[in-house]
Parts: sequence; C-alpha cells; structure tokens
Amino acid sequence: MVEMTPSFELQIKALDEDHQVLIDHANRIFDVLENIQDADDGRDCEQLVSEFVKLSKQHFAREEALLKSVDYPDVGQHRDHHRSLYSKMDHLIEFSSAARENPLARESLKKELQYFLLDDVITADMEFKDFINEKEDPSSS
Amino acid sequence: MKGLHIFGLSHAYGDNQVLRDVGLMVPAGELVCLLGPSGCGKSTLLRLAAGLEPLQHGTIVINDTEVANADLFVPPEHRRIGLMFQDYALFPHLSVIDNVTFGLTAMGSKEAHNRAMDMLDQVGMHTHIDKHPHMLSGGQQQRVALARALAPKPELLLLDEPFSGLDTSMRARIREQTLDVLKRSGVATLMVTHDPEEAMFMADRIKVMGDEGRILQAGRPHDIFYHPKHEFVARLFGMMNRLEGVVEKGQINTPFGPINARHIEDGQQVSVLVRPEGIHLTDNSIPGVNVEVLSTHLLGHDSLMRVRRVDDHDGLEFHVRVHNEFDPALIYPINAHVEPEYTFIFPRDGGRVFDQQDRRDMEASDE
Repeated sequence: MVEMTPSFELQIKALDEDHQVLIDHANRIFDVLENIQDADDGRDCEQLVSEFVKLSKQHFAREEALLKSVDYPDVGQHRDHHRSLYSKMDHLIEFSSAARENPLARESLKKELQYFLLDDVITADMEFKDFINEKEDPSSS
Repeated sequence: MKGLHIFGLSHAYGDNQVLRDVGLMVPAGELVCLLGPSGCGKSTLLRLAAGLEPLQHGTIVINDTEVANADLFVPPEHRRIGLMFQDYALFPHLSVIDNVTFGLTAMGSKEAHNRAMDMLDQVGMHTHIDKHPHMLSGGQQQRVALARALAPKPELLLLDEPFSGLDTSMRARIREQTLDVLKRSGVATLMVTHDPEEAMFMADRIKVMGDEGRILQAGRPHDIFYHPKHEFVARLFGMMNRLEGVVEKGQINTPFGPINARHIEDGQQVSVLVRPEGIHLTDNSIPGVNVEVLSTHLLGHDSLMRVRRVDDHDGLEFHVRVHNEFDPALIYPINAHVEPEYTFIFPRDGGRVFDQQDRRDMEASDE
C-alpha cells in the first residue's frame, strides 16, 4: 500500500488532493492484486488501471495549466516529463492485462505503479514546490 | 514510506554545480541504481544521503524521518545507514569477525558475535572469521564488507561502486550473491555505478544521471535500454551506429532505407542511433541493402562485424552484432536490414525524444 506521508506533500492544495486521489486509486489496485483469483478480478484490475491512467492524464493537464498560470519557467520541461511517462502508462495497462494469469505481471504492476506514482509523478513535482509556495506566500519574498 | 526519499537536492563545489534539483525514492526491499559517467555527481549524492557532506539545498528523508534539510543535519552515525565503498575500507589490523562486530556497539558482546556470525554465514564467509583482510581475495573482502554493512540492520544501505575492485570472472558471481543477500535482508539500497551492465543486473530501477548533475531518465532496466529518452542515455549502453539526417515528409533517409519519423516535424535535424544488434544480416532471400563484410570478430556468444553497403562510395561503415552462428564466408551476397526497436531518433538540439508509444498516446490525448 502507498501512503501520502509528509515528505510527499507539496503544500499546494489542489495538487496534493490530486495526488491523494491517485494514491487512493493505486491502493484499490493493490487490493485487487492481492486477492486476484478469477476472470472478474482480472477485469476489475484492468479497469482500475485504465481509470488510474485516465486520472493521471487529467492530473497532468490540471498541473500544467496551474504551472502556466503562475509563469513557472520550466513548464515546458515538466510537460515533456509528463509526456515521457506515457509509455510507462502503456506498460501499466499491459501488466494489468496479464495480471490474472501471470504472477510476475502482478509483481511488476505493483512495483511500477509505486515508482510511477511516488517517484515519477510526486517526487518530480517537488521541483516546483518552492517556486509555487514562495509565489503564493508574499511574506517569503 | 519505509526507505529513502530525496527531493530538491542541489549541490555545488564552488562554481561547479554538481547536482541540480535531484529527486529519488528507494522503497524498503528495493535496489535503485544511480548510473552515470565519472564526475556526474552520483557519488556526491550518495555522500549527501550518508551525511558525509553538509547538505546545501533539498531534503533527505529516511523511513519517514527527515535527516537533512536547510535547517537540519543528522550526523551519519544517527541515520541508521550501512555504507560500502569500492575499496571496502576493512580495518587491516582486525580479523574478519572483529571487522563485522566493530559497529555493533548497541548490542551486548554475545549478541553482537551471534549477529556477526549470522551475517558472515549469509555471505558465505563464516569459515574465515579469524583471518585478516590481507589474507582474503578481493571477492572475499567484498563479502566481509557487505556483512559488516548489513550487521547493524540498517534501514538504508548505500553502495559506492561495490564491484569495481573485482576481476571480471568473479564480478558476475559476487554481484549475484550480493543481490540475493540484499533481497533477503529487505533493506532499501541505493547503489552508485558507472557500469550499465551492472546497473541492469542489480537494479529494480535505474536513474541515469547526465553530466550536468540532473537525472535524465528513470525506469526499469527494460525502459532504459529499449526506450531511451536522450541520446546520452542510449549511448551509455555500449557501441552505437550513429547517422545524422533531416526529417523530410515524415521520414529520414538512411543507408538502410527510409526510417519512419512521422511524429517529428519536417526539417528537424536528427541523430539516428542503431544498436549493433539492430542490424540484421541475412542471405538475399530477405529484402535489405546489399552489404560487404569488412571484418569479423568472434567474441564467444556473439560476433562483432564491420560492414559497408556494396554501392556506398562515401565509406560509411557500420558495426553489427550477430548472435547466431553466422559465417560470412558461407553466405553471399549478404543483405542487411534495420530492426526498428533497436533504432532511436533524437533531435540534434539535445532534446528529449518521444518514442512511437509516447507519440501514439500524445496523438490520442490531443484528439
């Protein structure tokens, strides 16, 4: 299971809420993976991962709009980073399709989901944490 | 999260900025490799995680506890980390057992002895406890150093080029044993290496660092090898055939025929990199361009050849790796064709590349 511990908080309300939604969704996937037995469970897993990917893309779009609105100077670079994760999202979907039959696919899905969420998405977002917090807090400048 | 979490890490030595906004996480039980050339900042990052250098900017969290930030510095001995350097740093005047018990000061002597014996047993060195380091081979010293690093049950293990002192024949065996011990211990491990093969073998996840102190790409070994996002990353994994060209009508013309580049703007100057194993040689029953073999070197499980198009007058030569028993003396004429999955196209301005999969998704989401 994945937890939103303080070190993963951006202290940017809208984005922290987005991240929490993704974490909750990932935990539902972990739950299903722990108990996967029949074709129905397999379909649930595929559907949850597909929804996770959709939620991630919506989060990326919201985040890019926010970064643009505050004139974050590396917004293009961050957008490229998001785009570079698309092939990883395809892998998540591939693993979910194989998860019912293949225990290695289940392990890969768990592992990749955790890295994707905590490292590729949330830790990468830490890059603009100070910029936005300073911008929103006039006393810090 | 159990393990290591680093974010916003920047570090400079005078005017030399060695790390720029680096972030990473290593969950408990996982092994993450920092891979990059000498001087890219990977050892500095390891030393900062260990607390061997004061942090300038960023945050380091071990097992949900901040150990370093702008206002905080927890000294190394209070971070619950194990360290292993490339020279192993064993105490020469102490026996194997005394080297391993040395750091177990929080335990009683009997408990420390038992713990050290347990660790030495796990690394297969329990029959050498009375020997001194100079009486051990490099591989044995490495295993004692690993036992010593793991004996205090650290929450994070930091390995700096741990196999670089071993000869090639021993390295493969020792790293397999080391990985086995690390996985059984469940410790979060951050390892630094400049050796791509070592990173591929050991890592659950690889973080490739470029020479500007940034992480260029992170992913499974499979992602890094088959979907490199930068030319620098692609070239880390050994010999490459490199061509330059311009995208015209969604294609790049190469000596092996046109290569699809539909998703790169026309007029963009690009580098095309082809791994030697991505050029396939066949007899002329399979379509391709006719090549002549200039040299061939049998390397054991594969052969490395140098080839040139028969009708090429520019002298362009290519390296080809052949995995099966392909004897050019017995096949004539020889055709060559390129496998798309071993071919990578990068903008010449040094930008990131999006592979076919990325592009399909980008198009779908733009619709």
